[in-house]
Amino acid sequence: MSEPLPARSRGVIALLEENCTSCMLCARECPDWCIYIDSHKEEVVVPGARTRQRHVLDRFAIDFSLCMYCGICIEVCPFDALYWSPEFAYAGYDIRELLQERDDLRQWMPTVPVPPAHDPSGEPSKEQSAAARRAR
Amino acid sequence: MTPEAVGQALVTALVAAATAEDPTPPGPPVAGVSGGGRFARATVDVPAGAWVAALRTARDAVGCDFFDWLSAVDELDQGYQVVAHVWSSRGRYGVLVRTRIPRAAPALDSVVAVYPGAAWSERETHEMFGVDFPGHPGLAPLLLPAQFEGHPLRKDFVLASRVVKAWPGATEPGESAAEAGRRAPQRPPGVPAPGDWTPPDWRPGG
Repeated sequence: MSEPLPARSRGVIALLEENCTSCMLCARECPDWCIYIDSHKEEVVVPGARTRQRHVLDRFAIDFSLCMYCGICIEVCPFDALYWSPEFAYAGYDIRELLQERDDLRQWMPTVPVPPAHDPSGEPSKEQSAAARRAR
Repeated sequence: MTPEAVGQALVTALVAAATAEDPTPPGPPVAGVSGGGRFARATVDVPAGAWVAALRTARDAVGCDFFDWLSAVDELDQGYQVVAHVWSSRGRYGVLVRTRIPRAAPALDSVVAVYPGAAWSERETHEMFGVDFPGHPGLAPLLLPAQFEGHPLRKDFVLASRVVKAWPGATEPGESAAEAGRRAPQRPPGVPAPGDWTPPDWRPGG
């Protein structure tokens, strides 16, 4: 890219699969029905404690031939597993190449820009005001 | 001019025009103000019989020389609301002229004679909502192919793409799509219930 794109450009959706709990919220909120998630349950055996179950992600795919780049999946994700990346050059010769599986989505993570710095004249962030309230 | 004053000006002009031309107006016009805060527009609701007269009065007596757009709203049992936005390029104020037509055989006189630019808007409203505009010089489809069946912006129009595909959100956490999801999709308007539109034994994707 010759020109730097604005930090909030909507180019492609990146997946940080370590954060994904396969909760299905994004797939259910998607108005285009273009997010596909498969997962299975796994037992976590902790010595001296109750055996727990956790969800393991098997498949996470976004079909960019259907996606309308609304960003609702990114907004709704409670675990910050989805991010906007400004990368846009992923056109292909076949429409099926636009179906990106989780490895394709994972590779966009290094292109996700750092969030813009907080506006110094804006309201303090929720984290700051909560910390100040706790300190008092 | 405030939106309230614009709406009142059009209502006053309409009442004056009705008594001058036709002593029995089909119903009183009602002025109002749309939502939108700073960007609110005057609204004037007129009976369907006074539609052309209302827009002509808006152009000649209120100074709305610019036709912006015309479209419809599907109000289900209450019929269709047809809305036109006209604007005064000199006074920089606009007015939304609205009327309601019945759901069965919706038709409204064309305003092409008043605003020639309304021709395309009426063609689009005709194909998207199935509203007839008697007096229009040629109501051919504007955007849809000629063989298209149905009116896509009506609320009872079935979205075929939502029928032929299974909802990916039906899978529960910890399940794969191959296992049958118990969760029924939340259906937006236009999406039929299973069995409503398809044979009862039919399965999406199969």
